[in-house]
Amino acid sequence: MVRLAYVQLAGCCGCLVSLADTYERLLDILDEVELVYCQTLMDEREIPECDVAVVEGAVCLNHEECVEVARGLEEKADTIVALGACAATGNFMRYSRGNEQSAPTHEAFVPLTEVVDVDYAIPGCPPAPEAIERFLTLLLEGKTDLLEPFAKLAEGKTEYCGCDLMYHVVNKNMCMGCGTCAAACPTRAIEIVDGRPVVNEDRCIKCGACFTQCPRTIWPGDDAIKELVMGGEEE
Amino acid sequence: MSELKEIMVKGDEGLLGEHLGVFTARSTERRILRVTQDGGIVSSIMVYGLEEGKFDGVIAAVADPDDPEEPWKPRPVVITDPDEVLEAAGTKYTYCPNVSVLKEAVRSHGCERVAMVGTPCQVRAVRKAQLLPVGMRHVPDKIELLIGIICMENFPYEGLKTMVEQLCGVWMREVAKMDIGKGKFWVYTDDGEVKSIPIDETHPFEGEPCHVCTDYCAELSDLTAGSVGSPDGWSTVIVRTEKALELLEEMVEQGLLEVKSIEEVKPGLGLVEKLAQAKKNKNQKEIEERKELGLPEPGKVHEQL
Amino acid sequence: MSEQVEIQPTTRHEGHGKLVLYVDDEGYVERAFYLNTSAIRGFEAMAKGRPAEFVQVAVMRICGICQATHGTASAEAFERAMGIEPPRDGRLLRELCALGNRIQSHVLHQLLVLDDFVEEEKEKVEAIKRIQQIRKIGQYVVDVVGGEGIHPPNIRIGGMAENISESARKRLYRRLREARELMEEQHEFMREIVERFAEENDLDLDEFGRHDQPFMATHPTYGDPERLDLDRVVEVLPIEYYGEEHKEEAYEHNGQIPLYDGVPVEVGPRSRYVVFDGVDPRGVLYIHILRSQETLAAIDRCLNILEELNTSGKTLAEWEPRAGTGVGVHEAPRGTNVHIATVNEKGIVEDYRIIAASTWNFPVVEKAIEGEHQEYAEVIMRCYDI
Ligand SMILES: Cc1cc2nc3c(=O)[nH]c(=O)nc-3n(C[C@H](O)[C@H](O)[C@H](O)COP(=O)(O)OP(=O)(O)OC[C@H]3O[C@@H](n4cnc5c(N)ncnc54)[C@H](O)[C@@H]3O)c2cc1C
Ligand code: SF4
Ligand code: SF4
Ligand code: SF4
Ligand code: SF4
Repeated sequence: MVRLAYVQLAGCCGCLVSLADTYERLLDILDEVELVYCQTLMDEREIPECDVAVVEGAVCLNHEECVEVARGLEEKADTIVALGACAATGNFMRYSRGNEQSAPTHEAFVPLTEVVDVDYAIPGCPPAPEAIERFLTLLLEGKTDLLEPFAKLAEGKTEYCGCDLMYHVVNKNMCMGCGTCAAACPTRAIEIVDGRPVVNEDRCIKCGACFTQCPRTIWPGDDAIKELVMGGEEE
Repeated sequence: MSELKEIMVKGDEGLLGEHLGVFTARSTERRILRVTQDGGIVSSIMVYGLEEGKFDGVIAAVADPDDPEEPWKPRPVVITDPDEVLEAAGTKYTYCPNVSVLKEAVRSHGCERVAMVGTPCQVRAVRKAQLLPVGMRHVPDKIELLIGIICMENFPYEGLKTMVEQLCGVWMREVAKMDIGKGKFWVYTDDGEVKSIPIDETHPFEGEPCHVCTDYCAELSDLTAGSVGSPDGWSTVIVRTEKALELLEEMVEQGLLEVKSIEEVKPGLGLVEKLAQAKKNKNQKEIEERKELGLPEPGKVHEQL
Repeated sequence: MSEQVEIQPTTRHEGHGKLVLYVDDEGYVERAFYLNTSAIRGFEAMAKGRPAEFVQVAVMRICGICQATHGTASAEAFERAMGIEPPRDGRLLRELCALGNRIQSHVLHQLLVLDDFVEEEKEKVEAIKRIQQIRKIGQYVVDVVGGEGIHPPNIRIGGMAENISESARKRLYRRLREARELMEEQHEFMREIVERFAEENDLDLDEFGRHDQPFMATHPTYGDPERLDLDRVVEVLPIEYYGEEHKEEAYEHNGQIPLYDGVPVEVGPRSRYVVFDGVDPRGVLYIHILRSQETLAAIDRCLNILEELNTSGKTLAEWEPRAGTGVGVHEAPRGTNVHIATVNEKGIVEDYRIIAASTWNFPVVEKAIEGEHQEYAEVIMRCYDI
């Protein structure tokens, strides 16, 4: 059975709650893997060697333990998954700049993808429960070709945020105004005006959900949809 | 075998997308046909589904022709009352972000079985949202039916307005209906006037993003409806999933739909295939040309970053 | 001669913590330190110079378990700072949203503490299933009312972004009625396992984990700044609180320590019952039972709100930025959550302070552990939903 560790760095636990929001299916998911570490759910105090490390939260470069844990992952886990925008792309943590009275030196927060070699990154704040479940299922079934987009996102080239949506979809003559980005945005920062998205920068936290969800940025392939969505699962 | 199964035929799946069968149909209700674009298939399904409790919400596009600022500008709505479905009937030839209210439907409206009508690109968007629902918490399993509408192209609002007002010489708020067919863009006014321009003249106003789209028949829908292939007042229906087939069979049985084999009507399935092929060829070429300019392919944007 | 014991990281709670215990020969704790070892993400500093709207969205991400409380306290703070009055139905929906969150958070906590009380696998699985069913309904409330179950974006400065439909109202009502039945069962279960634990370990429920700190709460189901006298609150640095002789511990604790009238006060479900119902259960395990009881009360209040709500009422006030300072107080699942915002005439944040609910309880946990055997240190800590 796949040994899975759930590691929490500087995050909010929301990604784990999202996993728990699979409700009745949570126990089935936990039946499919051997959960070997998860500080919020169990008493194991040290990250053991494992097949998959799912990591939530950003890395605080000014927090020794945080950096150590992050760096140690490459040794301990065969596959590293950055779950949620904090770990995947940076999220609103890009706005951190230290000077908080209780720990004034905690200043540099970066996504895990900038610190270690991450295999897969799943943006979103948090990613939907169904997305986490789908990801884990595909991973366990070894359908890595379908996970290719997440592997690409793990390169952490940008935040895949509302700005990227403008630069790489709208500015490139590719937005056909479907409105998916607006629905996907967890802060409701996007409004579709005259058939194109307008991003309210005061609400955008750079979570990457819009860009990742847009059908024009990453297309998973018709076959996958026919097999996994239209092929009876939901019917 | 059901009446529907008997008359259904299959076309070229490479062009129409995988399907169980194709046929021609129209609603048997006058109140529906009076306001719908073609055979009123989309609206009939929505009314029936809501009345029978198969859906508890449908997403469609509503436009107000009398809006003082932006007549005919569509906006997406969540409809839960079957009596309101017909307010959304008819084609609006401009972008309407139907998917943007998908979450609202399952959130503040509390819907659990949603049907959505959409252009092929919108159907694709929802399918991806079901497969990889990164930002779609608790949405994927609430989608009961995706109705696609055949689509060759769409127009930005100001483009449509220019076509209607400048080229056809009709004020937007006087328009009762717009249509594309028989090589022309047609405008019908409230006082029964009919204006048209050759389709060639509308090309400059087509939305550029439509030129990288190769899906004509909403290949990932549960069922698709379009005007092409069927006579005026009838719709061509492509059924893809068992779920959609069952629903349509029920409607035929209950006398809500009148159906015919598409082989009995003119211009027939051949035209659908021809236009599907044309769209694929033309837009694939455009994608290749864009690649040469260093522009991203649709669906592969992330690879270039 | 006392021996020093460290438990790190402490488990089955949110965030990162460490216990340092000085124990006597028999293992009884003479002095306890409960230290927050999480990296400090710096929300207060991040807020400065940013628009109010951004800050209200960002601070929800302080905690993914009880985001609604931060969203609410923040919105309230900005509203008071800028003189904004949310419409009645917006205010009701906001309370409803946060109560949905309270339901899910409270039972999630019950899931986390299961291992403290239950060994048998079957009993555990049954409890988990029931808890997940209740959580699902709590989250359904937040999803529908707040827009997203985690970090609800409908909570806005000025009220709530949207009202709910009439059919959604009916559905919520029905689901919450189901939740009530499940919760009655769960409440019974919590009482049973806590009493069984006390019996099996020969602990006096009224004495175990007892402390003599005062209790603080501002409202049974929402939050009330009128009941919090900020002049009596100070936040001190760990080094001031623990003193030079414990500077090692002090420097490991990330965060300030809030004191009321100069002493630590307990906040959370028990405090709310002490302040508003006049009960006075001193044993720490009672918190589990009261949290459970409070979940039932939360469900009842949700049902009330749904009866009071006008689903076609206005929910969001329009507002213009205005300079000022405002205090937002909301009773989080874990206790009194305080946000204080100062904005300038453009609505840009000049100063932002957060006293998160669990920070009040950190020093109280220490007091509760002191005097008990070290083997129970984490069990006591977990009574607090830190
Ligand atoms: C932009 C566009 C281009 C089209 N191009 C073709 C074509 O090339 N060939 C062809 O055969 N058919 C095309 N159609 C489809 C055709 O116009 C009819 O919609 C279809 O035949 C269904 O007819 P009906 O009588 O069943 O629909 P109705 O019962 O009238 O229902 C139509 C439904 O579509 C929704 N709708 C209208 N406009 C939009 C929009 N812009 N975006 C999303 N939803 C909308 C309405 O709200 C309504 O619910 C196109 C439609 C659109 C919107
Ligand atoms: S991505 Fe969002 S939900 Fe996940 S840890 Fe970061 S802030 Fe929390
Ligand atoms: S616009 Fe919304 S979805 Fe996109 S990055 Fe910003 S917050 Fe995330
Ligand atoms: S999801 Fe993509 S294509 Fe759809 S409206 Fe947004 S940017 Fe445009
Ligand atoms: S042509 Fe394609 S992209 Fe344009 S509206 Fe139709 S389906 Fe959408």
